[in-house]
Amino acid sequence: MYDIGILLQIVFWGLYAGCIYILLATGLNLIFGVMKIVNFAHGEFLMIGAYITATIFFITGFNPYAIIILSMLALVGIGAIVERLCFRPILGTSKLNEIFLSIGLIYIFTNSAAMIWGDEWQSIKSPYAGITVPIGSLTVPLDYIIIIFTTAAILCGLYVFLRKTKTGREMRATSQNRKGAMLVGINVERMDILSFGIGCALAAAAGTLWVVSGQVFNPYMGSIPAVKAFAIIILGGLGSIPGAIIGGLIYGIAENGAAYFLGGVWKDAISFIILIIVLVIRPTGLFGESGE
Amino acid sequence: MNLKRDEIIRYGTIAAIALAVVAPFLLANLYLLNLLTLMLIFIIFASAWNLLAYSGQGSLGHAAFFGIGAYASTVIAVKSGITPYITIFLGAAVAAVVGILIGLTCVRLKEWFLAMVTFGFAIIVQTIAVSILTPITGGWDGIASPRLLSPDIPGYQLIEYYSILLITIASVVMIWYILKSRIGLAFSAIRENEIEARAAGVDPVRYRLLAFGLSAYLAGVAGALEIAHIGYITPEIFGVDLSFLPVTYVILGGLCTLAGPVIGTIVLTILWEGLKMAGLTFSRYIIVGVLLILVIIFLPKGLVDLPNQLHKKWKHYKNPKPDQAPLQE
Repeated sequence: MYDIGILLQIVFWGLYAGCIYILLATGLNLIFGVMKIVNFAHGEFLMIGAYITATIFFITGFNPYAIIILSMLALVGIGAIVERLCFRPILGTSKLNEIFLSIGLIYIFTNSAAMIWGDEWQSIKSPYAGITVPIGSLTVPLDYIIIIFTTAAILCGLYVFLRKTKTGREMRATSQNRKGAMLVGINVERMDILSFGIGCALAAAAGTLWVVSGQVFNPYMGSIPAVKAFAIIILGGLGSIPGAIIGGLIYGIAENGAAYFLGGVWKDAISFIILIIVLVIRPTGLFGESGE
Repeated sequence: MNLKRDEIIRYGTIAAIALAVVAPFLLANLYLLNLLTLMLIFIIFASAWNLLAYSGQGSLGHAAFFGIGAYASTVIAVKSGITPYITIFLGAAVAAVVGILIGLTCVRLKEWFLAMVTFGFAIIVQTIAVSILTPITGGWDGIASPRLLSPDIPGYQLIEYYSILLITIASVVMIWYILKSRIGLAFSAIRENEIEARAAGVDPVRYRLLAFGLSAYLAGVAGALEIAHIGYITPEIFGVDLSFLPVTYVILGGLCTLAGPVIGTIVLTILWEGLKMAGLTFSRYIIVGVLLILVIIFLPKGLVDLPNQLHKKWKHYKNPKPDQAPLQE
């Protein structure tokens, strides 16, 4: 009934959209794993990352893919400040407080960005825009391929960091058992700041990739990707990074499929429909541990 | 001390109501009257959100119920020609039914999970309103809604204000009765410890659904009132901003208290308009955001708790002996 080429195209677009969600969701998951909090304002870091990339690009004209490192570094700093000032004081209080605090952060970040950069939609042009690569029966923009490989590289880097370095091991220990980690002499508060910073840096990377793919951005664009990322980690199970990757791919593909088959307005709704269906069947997500 | 406190609360309430009654004459300004009317509507909305939070369920998608109440009321009023004074309550009933249906999917979920599902639900409702239901809702363009009172009546703004004031007081009194009754006790039992509540013979599922239904009903009333006041409705009503608004009001005022939403709405409305007059646009959001975070960190019980905290500080200042703090429950 439908052309197989179009289906493949949808899957490929979904793969690309999924990359941004995977980066966001992995960051959220890392923060959740270590601190057991959820930051609803995570999308605001994506937005800030996008603006930092665009600003540096406009001023210096560097290759936007190189700016990804600068925007990630900047967001490590911002994330550390936010963790220290806002989230640390409420650690261990009611879980709803994190949600409310994130709303405050959303107000602060979106409107600071609107004050600095204005609230119109903006976009930049990637140096590789218009170049397409034929893969089999598909023709795909070169940007999409670079984005997919960049995401894979960042995820591999994260994997190596968490598995092979001392800090990474300490971070995993904190996420497995906070008290135990404290007992063996790990500075868990340092791990909190570090994981929050890295999580924000992943969001910044997602922001850079968002911008270089030519998508438009404004100060208010962060909240929808963030809640979708959050829906993804619920779908994949809180704290499970493979779950985040699979969930991100499912969402990217489902969204693009819905936009194609049902019409563009369904793009956002479909991810929440999937979420609700999954939660009705399995309240802890697809790969989540059972119990509370 | 306790009696005095009760008296302060009683006289304060009477004074507040008296002030609300005479306010239109003191202000004598249509812009401010309009503002006051909207403030009353948001008191209902914030109280509705707070009622759900009282049962331990924090929703991030209350705009859905606000909007469903508004749309249902408008559509019923347009199709049947009944005065909005009646359709407000019919529209809210539709919101309550939808609320119970959503509650059914949420009974097993908590905290972030619940917040996500309600947030997503508002987006789903908005999508449905602009796609499948376009013939009824008018899509993104929206539709005109019958006004609460025809603008031909002299002094209609004043009558509208008093009608809405009456409904607001009725809603707050209703919530007060609910919180005072066995239902309110059951809500707080579930909020504090669901397993113990169950052991004490409280059925959490039933009470959670009840909380969802009541909260959605009141939110629907607020939405229908706002639209009957403004006279026009668009799907923007399901937006994220409107979902976050009651949360901000309630957290600022005091979560899970009767007075919290009322005080939070009044304080924030005054602050908001004051900052607007000072010529701030984006920065007023930043100020509100900073205020929200400060309140969460330093005043976890909200502004209603501020006198208590100051009193404690004052006592400590006058008599700075350690370990003299009275035992708190």
